[in-house]
This record gives sequence, C-alpha cells and structure tokens, in this order.
Amino acid sequence: MEAPQQITSRKDPRFKVSMYEHVGVKNSWTLSYYLGHGGYQAAQKALTMQPSEIINEVKASGLRGRGGAGFPTGVKWSFMPPVDGRQRFLVCNADESEPGSFKDRYILEDDPHQLIEGLLIGGYAIGASKGVIYIRGEYYQGYQRLKQAVAEARQAGYLGSNIFESGFDFDVILHRGAGAYICGEETALMNSFEGLRANPRLKPPFPAQAGVYGLPTTINNVTSLASVVHIINNGADWFSSMGTDDSKGNKLYQISGSVERPGVYEMPMGASFRELIYDLAGGPTMAIKAIIPGGSSTPMLPFDDEHLDTPMDYGSIATKGSMLGTGGVILIPTEKCIVNATWNLVRFYAHESCGKCTPCREGIAGWMVKIYQKLVKGFGQEGDIELIEDMADKIRGKAFCPLADACLGPVQSSIEHFRGEYEYLIKNGKPMYSKSDWWSE
Amino acid sequence: MKVKVNDAELELKAGTSAIDAIFAAGYDVPYFCSQEYMSPIGACRMCLAKIGAPRKDRDSGEWIIDEQTGEPKIFFFPNLMASCTTAIMEGMVIDTLSKEVKDAQNGMIEFTLVNHPLDCPTCDKGGACELQDRAYEYGAGQSRFVFDKRHQEKHHALSELITLDRERCIHCKRCVRYFEEIPGDEVLDFIERGVHSYIGTLEDGLPSNFTGNITDFCPVGALLDSTSRFRGRNWEYDHTRSSCLDCAVGCAITIDARTGRIERIKAARNTQVNNDWICDGGRFGHEYVDADERLKTPLIRRDGKLTPSTWEEAAAFINDKLADLGAKETGIILRADATLEEGVAAKALAAQLETGQLDHFPRLAASVIPQGVRATLNDVATSDAILVLGDVSEEAPIVDLRIKEALKGVTPPELMPHGVPLADLRLKERMPRQREILTVASPYRCDLMKHAGSTLTYPAGTEVELLASLLQAANGEGEISEEAAMRLGSSPEQLNDLLKRLSGAKNPVIIYGAFVLAASEASNAVQALAKAVGAKLLAIGPMANSYGLEALAVLPSHARYSVQEMLRGSAKALIVSGLDVAKDAEAAKALKELELLVVHDSFANATTELAHVVLPAKTAYEKEGTVVNLEGRYLPLKPAPVENGQSEDFCGLVKFLGETMGTRLEGRSVRSARRLLKKRLQLDLSELSEEGYLSPAKAKAASKFKLKESYELEGNLLLTPSMIRHEQLSRNAHLHAVYGDAALRLNPADAVAQDLNDGDVVAFELQGIERQAVIKRSEAVPVGLMLLPALPEQPAALLWLEPTKLIKAAVAEVLA
Amino acid sequence: MIELETIRPFFEDKKELLAEILNRYPDYGRRSAVMPLLWEVQRSERHVSEARVEEIAGILGLHATEVKGVMSFYSTYHEQPLGKYHLQVCSTLSCSLAGSDQMYDWLVEELGIVNGETDRDGLFSLQKVECLGSCGTAPVLQVNDVYYERMTRSRCKEVLAALRRDELPEPWLERGGDNVSAEKAQIESES
Ligand SMILES: Cc1cc2nc3c(=O)[nH]c(=O)nc-3n(C[C@H](O)[C@H](O)[C@H](O)COP(=O)(O)O)c2cc1C
Ligand code: SF4
Ligand code: FES
Repeated sequence: MEAPQQITSRKDPRFKVSMYEHVGVKNSWTLSYYLGHGGYQAAQKALTMQPSEIINEVKASGLRGRGGAGFPTGVKWSFMPPVDGRQRFLVCNADESEPGSFKDRYILEDDPHQLIEGLLIGGYAIGASKGVIYIRGEYYQGYQRLKQAVAEARQAGYLGSNIFESGFDFDVILHRGAGAYICGEETALMNSFEGLRANPRLKPPFPAQAGVYGLPTTINNVTSLASVVHIINNGADWFSSMGTDDSKGNKLYQISGSVERPGVYEMPMGASFRELIYDLAGGPTMAIKAIIPGGSSTPMLPFDDEHLDTPMDYGSIATKGSMLGTGGVILIPTEKCIVNATWNLVRFYAHESCGKCTPCREGIAGWMVKIYQKLVKGFGQEGDIELIEDMADKIRGKAFCPLADACLGPVQSSIEHFRGEYEYLIKNGKPMYSKSDWWSE
Repeated sequence: MKVKVNDAELELKAGTSAIDAIFAAGYDVPYFCSQEYMSPIGACRMCLAKIGAPRKDRDSGEWIIDEQTGEPKIFFFPNLMASCTTAIMEGMVIDTLSKEVKDAQNGMIEFTLVNHPLDCPTCDKGGACELQDRAYEYGAGQSRFVFDKRHQEKHHALSELITLDRERCIHCKRCVRYFEEIPGDEVLDFIERGVHSYIGTLEDGLPSNFTGNITDFCPVGALLDSTSRFRGRNWEYDHTRSSCLDCAVGCAITIDARTGRIERIKAARNTQVNNDWICDGGRFGHEYVDADERLKTPLIRRDGKLTPSTWEEAAAFINDKLADLGAKETGIILRADATLEEGVAAKALAAQLETGQLDHFPRLAASVIPQGVRATLNDVATSDAILVLGDVSEEAPIVDLRIKEALKGVTPPELMPHGVPLADLRLKERMPRQREILTVASPYRCDLMKHAGSTLTYPAGTEVELLASLLQAANGEGEISEEAAMRLGSSPEQLNDLLKRLSGAKNPVIIYGAFVLAASEASNAVQALAKAVGAKLLAIGPMANSYGLEALAVLPSHARYSVQEMLRGSAKALIVSGLDVAKDAEAAKALKELELLVVHDSFANATTELAHVVLPAKTAYEKEGTVVNLEGRYLPLKPAPVENGQSEDFCGLVKFLGETMGTRLEGRSVRSARRLLKKRLQLDLSELSEEGYLSPAKAKAASKFKLKESYELEGNLLLTPSMIRHEQLSRNAHLHAVYGDAALRLNPADAVAQDLNDGDVVAFELQGIERQAVIKRSEAVPVGLMLLPALPEQPAALLWLEPTKLIKAAVAEVLA
Repeated sequence: MIELETIRPFFEDKKELLAEILNRYPDYGRRSAVMPLLWEVQRSERHVSEARVEEIAGILGLHATEVKGVMSFYSTYHEQPLGKYHLQVCSTLSCSLAGSDQMYDWLVEELGIVNGETDRDGLFSLQKVECLGSCGTAPVLQVNDVYYERMTRSRCKEVLAALRRDELPEPWLERGGDNVSAEKAQIESES
C-alpha cells in the first residue's frame, strides 16, 4: 500500500491548528474552558492503556523533543529503568530562555491544562507519580496561571490519587527559576531544582539512571508534552501524517525580528521558511540579510531563495549547515550591522555562562565578548577575525556543555557569511550599516 | 581491559579513567581540576585527549572490522574528550600526542591564563605551581589576550589561617569539592556566576578543623597558608618528610624549614593513614618551635640560679648526685609521644640505674593495645558499621575523615603505577552518604554526630553501663530495659538496632578513646562487646606513641612506681622529659623535696623552676625516630633542620649520662636503639617505608568482663581531648587567634544559674592544677556537665568541680 | 550590656507559607526549598540581605555560604534593595531589533539612573536583562513581575507616567502569530 501523502504545508486543508488553538482566547487557561474544549480526554484514554502502549504510540508518532535537541520522545521514555519502587520523576523543562524562542510561554500562560495533561500522560507512561514543572522565574504570569491550573486540576481529581479510578497517582511540583539560561540544560536544571548552583552535571549517569535527587528522571520540553496530548487524542498516524521522513508532526515555530506579524505559528514540520515568513508572518518589514533558523544558537543563514525554500525540519536545515533548534526564527535586516547583532548574542552567552568550565568561562565570557565589544566600538584590528576563528576552533567541542558551542553558532556563521562586514568595520572603524534607531513610535 | 595509549598497550581494570590510563602508560597530560581522592568533574578541560573505541555490530555481536587493517575498526568520539571523566572501554585507543590534542591543550592553557594575573615573581607558589609548569610544558609561550584582566581581591583572609588571592584562582573547584567531599563541611563555595564567580564563604573564618589542606592542593597560588605567606619560595625550603606527633594517628607531613626555622607544615601522603590530609592542629601547631624563649643550652642550678652550662658538665653534675643517692631511688618519666628509640634509651638508663621507677605519661587506666582484633584506619574507611565512643574528631581528627570516607561506601582506591588514581570514577560530587552505618555515642554532642545516622548522648561516666547493657543483649543474657536505656539517653530500639547493625555487618569497627580508656572496666567491656558482635577495635591512645611505649613496656616494674607515685614521693631523684609535672601543686611540693630533679624540655615552665638541671630537648620536628600509631603501625620521624642550639632527644641525654658513667648504654643513639629493636622486632626501623610498617596483630583473647555492682565513675567536669595542643597555644599566635584560650563549655542554663557569660574568664583549681578558661555557653553540653580541654599533665578524666569555685578573673585578680 | 538590635526573622510570622513551601518537596529534597524561600524574601523586601540568607540557611540546615552561592548564581535575587518599580529592559537581539536599546537610553535619560542603579527615592531601578521570551512582541519592558510588550515610544511614556503616579498599569494582551485574530476579537469585545 502506498504511504499516505505527508502534510508538509500549512496550506494543506487537512492541517488544523491543535496545540495552539486556544492561545489568546479569553479565559482559555481555566479548567472549565479546557474541559469545554475536550480537555483531559486524552489523559482519561491514556490511563486505560498500558504504559508500554503509550510509549509505543509516542514512538510510532515519530515525535522528537521540542526543546532543541530533537531526541525522539518515545525512545527517551523507554530509557527509564524497570520500576523498582523508587520515586520517579517526569520533569517539564519550561525554562525557555533561548533568544528567539517564546512558544512555551504562551502554552504556560494560556493553556496550562494542556501541559498538565501531557505531564500526566507522560508520568503514567514512565511510571512517575511526581511531575515537576521548572518554569523560568521571569514567567510570572505563566507561573500564576499554572498554579491556578494545578489547584483546579487537583480539586477536580485530575491530579492526586487514583486518577480516573485507574489506581494511578500523580501530582505536580511547580518550581520557579530565577534568571539563568543554563537552567534550560537538563542536568543544570536538576541541580537548580535541588537547590544547588545550576552547573551542568556529568553525563553519565543520564537522568533516567540518576536524575533529580539521584532518582530515575525524564526531562521533556513543554511542547513535547503538549504534543503528546494530541497524539493520544488523534493517534500516532495522525501525527506522523504530518511532517517529513525524519521530522514528524506539527510544531510551534516562532518568528521575530523585522517581520510584519511576528509571533508563534503552528505548522506541520517541513514547511518552508518562505511559507512561515511570507504566507503567515506577512513578510519582512525591511530588507533582510540573514535568517537565524532556530533560536540564537543556530548558525545564521543568508536570506536567499535557496534558504527560503528549505523545509524547516531537522535534516534539511542540517544540510544547509545549521539546525532546527527550537524553531525560533529571527530575521536580521540588512540595515543591522552583523557584527553588532553577533555581539548582542555573544554578550548573551557570556552573561549566561555558568563558569564551570574554562573554555566557556574564560574563552567566551572572559575574552570573546571583549573582542566583540572592541570591534563594535570601532577599535578592531587586523587579525581580529582570524583570532576569533582560531578561538572558536579551540572552544568548539571542548566545553563541558553545549552552551559554549551555542555561542559559536552566530559567531562562526556570521563570519562565514558576512566576513565583508567585519572587515569593513575593522578597516573603517565604523560599521557598514549604521541604522541606529529601531524604536517605533 | 586492553587499552592503547599512543604506542603503549596495557591491561587495566574496568572503571579506570582514561587519564589514569594515560599516566599508567607513562604518558603525561595536563590537568587542573582532577585531584586524588576527590570526584572527577571535567571542568578545567585541560586533559582533553582524542579517544576512540571499537564497536560491536548490533546484530551479529562481532567487532566491526576495519577493511584495511583487518583489525577492529576504531570509532573516534566526534570531539576530544576530557580524559578525567571518561571511563576506559575494551580496546580503547587514547591519543595524547596528535596535533589536534596539542592545539587544544595550547588553547586551553591560553584560556586559563586569560584572567590569571601572572604575578609569579611575587607569588609564593612560584616554582611549585601546577599552572606555571603546565603553561611552560603545554602553552604557546605567549598570550593574544590584550584586555584588562579581571580584578578581584588579592588578599582576602578566608580565615586567620588562609589567605585567598581571587585573581589567581583558576576555578578548578578543588577546594570547594574538598570541603563537601572530605570533611563534609560545606563552608566554601563559588559566589556569583560565570566569569564573575569567585570563591568565598559567609561563615566566620571557615569553621572546620581541616581547612589547611586546601593550601596544599590549590594548583596555583590562590590559597595560601597565611602563617607562611611571603616567608620563602618553594625551592628555598628544606623539605623533610616526617610524621606528625600531635595525636595517635601519626599523619605523614612535610616540614618545610628555611634558615633554621620551620616555616610551614604540609600534608604528605600516606595511603594507609591520612591519605592526603592533616588537621589544622597538626598543620599550624608548629609555631612554638621557633619561639625566642626556646631552651637551647643545658642549665645547672648553682646558688639557686639556673646557669648555662654544657651537656658534659650537666651529665657530670647528675652523675655525682646520683652516685651520692644510690640510683635505685631514681624515677624516669617520658612523655607519651617520646619515640621508641627514646623509650629504649630510657629503659637502658633505668636498667643501668637499677630502678623500676620508669613510666610514660599521660597513660590512662586501660591498655591502648586492644585485646581483640585490631582495626586499621583503612578498615575504618571500608567499614559498613561503625560505633564511635567519644569525640574522635578532637581526639584523633583524621579518624573523623576516615569515618566520613566510609560513609561514601567506596573503598580506598587501588594504587596505580603512578600512585593514587587521579580520577577515581566511583567518586561523585555530592555523593549520597550512608549515614546509617555510623553510630556516635558521647557524653556531649560532638561534631561527628552531624554525620551519624544514630547518635546517643549518654551521661558522662556511664560508658561501662552502656557497654555492659549492649554486651548483655549481645550475649543474649537479658533484654535492654526501657529504664536502663533511658538512663543512658537512649532507647531499647536504638541499642538493639545498633547491635543488629554491628553483628550483621561485614566489617564492623568500634572506635573508642579516652572516655573508655579512663576505666579498665569500660575497656574490658568494649573488648568483650567487640568479640560478641565480631567487630574490630580501634583504640585512640592519649598521645602519638602511647601504643609504642606500652608495647615496649616503658612501664614501672610495679604499680607503686607509677608516675603519680613518683610525683608523690616514691622517688628521690627524678628525670622528667617533656612534662610540666609541677603544674600540680601537690606534686610541686614533693618535687621540692627531691635530691635531684632533671628536666628535659624545650621551654622553661613550673617544673624547670624547681629543677637542678635543665636539659634542652628536641621537639617532635627535630627528632629522628619511630612511633607506633593507634593501629599499631610503625611510622618514621625525620629531623628537619631547625636551629635548636644544643637540644638533644632522650637518646642524647642517655648518651651523655652513660659516657660520664663510663658505659655505652643501649639507646645512646637512634642507631644503637634501632640495633636493639631490630633484634626484638625483626624489623629494621631505619628502613621503614613511607607508609610505615603495620605490626602483625597478636589477637589476644579479650579478658572476661563482669559488671561490678559498685562500679561508678562520677563527676561534673569532663576533661576532653582536643585537636589543639593547648599547652603550646600561647606560643602559636595564629592558632591562638582562631581557637582562643581554652574554653570551659557548659550548658546555657547552667551558665545562667552561675551568672556566667560568654567570654568571662574564670580561674579555678582542678585536682591541684591551677586552670584558667574562657566561658563558652554551648547547647552541645548537657545540663550539669562542664567540658574543659585536657592537658598532657592532666589527661582526659571525669572530675568534680564545685561550680561556685569558678572565680571570674577580675575577682580572682582582686583576691590574689 | 549592649543589646544588639535583632532583626525579626522573615518567616517568623509566616509559618503557614513556610510550611507550604517546605511541603512542596519530599523530605530528602528539603534543600529544593532554597529558591522559593529566596523568592519570598526578594519579592517582599526587594532584596535578600545577608541576615535573610542566614535565616534561610538555618531553616534548611545549610551553611549560609551554600545559600549565598545559590542566590548569587541567579540574576533575579539582589543583594541591594531595588526600587519600588524595577524596570527591566530586555536587550537581546529580537528586542534590540525592535528598539530596546533606544528604549533603554530613553529611560536612562528620563530617570537619571543607569543599569543596575536605583534612584534616590527608591522608586525606580533600571536593569538591562537578557531575553525574556517576548521576542515576538518586542520590545518588552518588565516592571517587577509584569510584562509590557510591544513597547512603542508612546506606550513607554504612558507606562512611565503611570508609575510616577504610583500606578502599575494593567498589562495589555499581546500574542501575535497565529492569534492575531483571536487577539483582535478579544480587544474588540473589550472595547
Ligand atoms: C544551554 C542549554 C539550554 C537549554 N535550554 C532549554 C530550554 O530553555 N528549554 C528546553 O526545553 N530545553 C532546553 N535545552 C535542552 C534540554 O537540555 C533538553 O534537551 C530538553 O529539555 C529535553 O526535552 P525534549 O526532549 O522534550 O526536547 C537546553 C539545552 C542547553 C544545552
Ligand atoms: S560550557 Fe562550561 S561554563 Fe559554559 S555553561 Fe556549559 S559548563 Fe558552564
Ligand atoms: S577536565 Fe580538569 S582534569 Fe579533566
């Protein structure tokens, strides 16, 4: 039998917004609204299934983690050791801090029950009776809405003991971060949750063997868990009918920068940048020179037809030398000095370096950021670009966690594609493009 | 497992780290964050290597073969790997020589130096600095960093004893990990984040008794021993490896001396005893040695005044007196940290003088050599059930650390060709501790209790009762009753649990010190209990060579010749080495009656005041010799080049005396003493290894224990052993600044009742000895009990002191 | 005797809150409460003083150093008191592309304080922060816990004027993306 035609475009009439359907609607965060729109049916269904069935369903759906790394969620769930009576945890990573990413925030604020339901299903699947939502400290409204949602869910029996008479107990701990991007890294998140400084931990042991408090743990992104609700509701086939071979399902893409209608758009995976930028977001507001495809750490690509027509899935973007990441697209206008834009991001990573390892602490936070500052101030010297390149070589792949490499994404790609601007700035002491006021009335 | 490091193939145990494989193969790789005995964390990224391994085909289970070579194909990791946190795999290939690795090392050195001040010319660590060495070996020789370096505090006093230069710190985290992993006091941490982070503490002066160790292993000059800062460069010091004599453990130390002074003491490694650690008492307790008032020449009392003289004259003077006297009346008292060789000399002298009045002091009621199966310190560290009776953290501080090692549940590492593994992958940051294996029982709340699964504060003096109850239950001779347990501050459940734990364990150990040794019944009981539950025993003697001197029988020929008796008139002449026996007013009276009082000591004191002859003595740091530590391990002492005038050890004293007597006494020199000991022990002490020699345990059967009805130890003041040697504190300015004067600790309720406030100075008389102490209120002390540090002349004991006899100093001065 | 002025423990009269926070976590995870406890203090006192650090350490059985180590790791616990209105300008790329640098400059001009400072009256403090997850509705100004998004020059003026009157304006709803229509519907229904 011929495989069904994949949905890879939002223009396909079979595609329907699911995860993002209720965001922005008044009172969408309340339990009554959620129940009125089919809420907790997936959980009810899931709790009649065997945990292994759920895991298989999620595996079959082809869902890959939406937190950035894209690891198959079902496979990750199956790494949990056999149940042995120890407490197990399912942690939701709601620390979303990668510049250009803001999809999780709207789920947290406007559709918290969707997340709680996903967490409940995931918890049941991996045998964890405790869920943790680690939400970044700045998301205060999200925290309030979640808090209320958890209270409502407890009251209504969607959290607590013997949920849906299934004998399964599940409850959720809400934990707020306090402003540190590194807490998004899963092992740093566990340290932070445990009340320690949020340095990443050694792996192995992986969270499934020794996670929070040394107990078996699985960590998933907010939208990974939200996707699970719809996979259970609509079936793995529905999910895998969307997307491409290596990237199934629908995903929340984000777009920001100089574009008419920035925001979050739900699309089948594999839709092109062009569709996102022009068809959905209304096109750029000014001339664009670069696309950051998936959050600030993903190498930027030139804004041209080749890249605009690249499908936004894991494999295709990788062939262009970048990554899908969180799917947070940033459009950099031609008028923006690329060195300045890169400096902005280098500064971000320097600020967020945890300080544990040498190449990141000294290489990026101690040195790289200073070179960039020197460049943007117009004091660049001949040899600086080569120095940056050499440093990048000496940092890449050598740091303890991926944060240092994340910083090199914009650094190396901007030099690769816009070396001329660097050279111009160094030679002339002022940038090639010098638009200075970006603020609208 | 077979691994290949560059061109060397070797076979190593699974679980070995790649960095240890590299060193085992004889290659080098730079590292900063790795540190022996601590968890590998892979933070400095200095030890990167190119690592690969063969893979098995998933379906067939066969090695995937490289077509070209016909050998298993090596799959290299996509990135260089930190070798300290990578475990070896079968067939692993590790490359440390390729250009890729060199470039990475080069880069990492450059990064490490970005914010390092490079103030080597003014840095104490210069010449002994890991960063300096590594930068020289692996760096590019110049930096391309043109910006201002990070400016931070350069002279931050973490405590009176330790100075931190925050600019020099390279964030290896050794010190932070050390506090969590070794003593378990998390008093130091990183503050701030990223490139702004620095080491700091909010605790007042790093409250831990093991702070100095961080200055030993700090790879740069960021953490320095304040007492020796700016005193010399590493290459200017004479390094002498010796043993510490401050307690019965006998830790390995390195004495760094320069121009005749001891500038600092560092921990040396003894994998059997102290690993790499020493306590602050041992590290900083040497300052007195160089005090100006040190006795350096023999003195003879002429016309009531002590006048300088020579050893020959002094010996002749003594000899004359002894001849008049009839030597049998002479008593000889050694301090219990005298060496074995000195013990031999003292015995030879006693034999020559035909006297049975020979003893060492302090010596408690019970033998320090346990009857039963002796535990080693490594037994402690691998034990799965430990009962501690008393306050070991003060009494023998390193035992405290070895107990904490056991709580991690990881056995001491096996040695590699290059020594202790650099990265023991079984160790983890913030490991869970098996507190439940540890029970601590003491008459007051002591530090170690914080780490114990079960704790018990029994009324002072009830050791025998406690042990007897346990023994009874262990022998099935009767349940522990509710009241009995209550009286002991415990419950039947707790005591039964303890018994179950001990008897169910594979390697149970019972550790006890002065409070048990103070009564032979208690000591018998503990030995019987150990036998009943199959536990090994570790007894902490009062001083560094208590074990050795007892084994050598530096003991009176009869009970009526004990030190106490000698000081009450049994002797007519007395030779006292290292003890200020005249502190005791009663003894002083008797001493005044003596025909001859010879005092062998390093400083003038109340006893030298009364002496006819004063002979300058070497301190522990200047002696050659041997001591036997609490496990029965023979440990070597080596003399550091200290300017000590004509000071001699007891062997020297015996040499001069013997010469005037016209005889060559055994023990007239360390060599001669060792010749004798070689015959007796079948052991050449001049060839002791650095680890020392563990004497074979002669497991003697425990003597029968029967609880006497009338047995009672009573008192309201407990003299407690302490890490700090209070008798020298007045000459140890730095330690004194941290630990202050000896404190009389009592419960706040009692303090209120007596109208005593923290910091009040009180004077009182305790069994004839005038003592002064500072009041310290402490919840750790039960109501009705007072604690006071013991002295060599006044060892641990339970005494009565009428609280109303505590006179506040101001008042005391007025009265005086 | 000199009686030292003693600071009243923060949680002394908040026993229920304290119990609720401690109860969130399992017994073996008591230490997890360190961040929520710091949050309570920070929110209520606008900073976390050393005395509070010690108090929290005492509650959790930790050394004060450990609490300080944790506290100082994060950007939102402050050692020095913040103003009543803590203005946080996101300065990361997407906001920068929407004018946050100019917004910051404008605030500096208006308030007479720069990054990290608090004004003399203790009313405002200003801080540049990193990405707040509002890239689609940039630029964003966070005042205490509230996000004010799509901060045009005129909106910024309005917000500041309101704050000067000591009023914290109701935040407006900004979503964008797929919710342009929903958002419009709502705004229409409200007006
Ligand atoms: C520096 C760093 C920051 C990260 N930040 C986030 C984040 O904010 N949110 C997130 O979900 N994942 C983040 N991740 C990825 C997580 O480590 C982890 O892979 C993810 O939460 C797993 O969830 P998923 O499998 O559902 O994607 C980050 C990773 C790194 C290295
Ligand atoms: S790369 Fe190193 S310093 Fe940077 S965040 Fe990761 S562990 Fe911390
Ligand atoms: S990373 Fe520091 S020694 Fe390996």
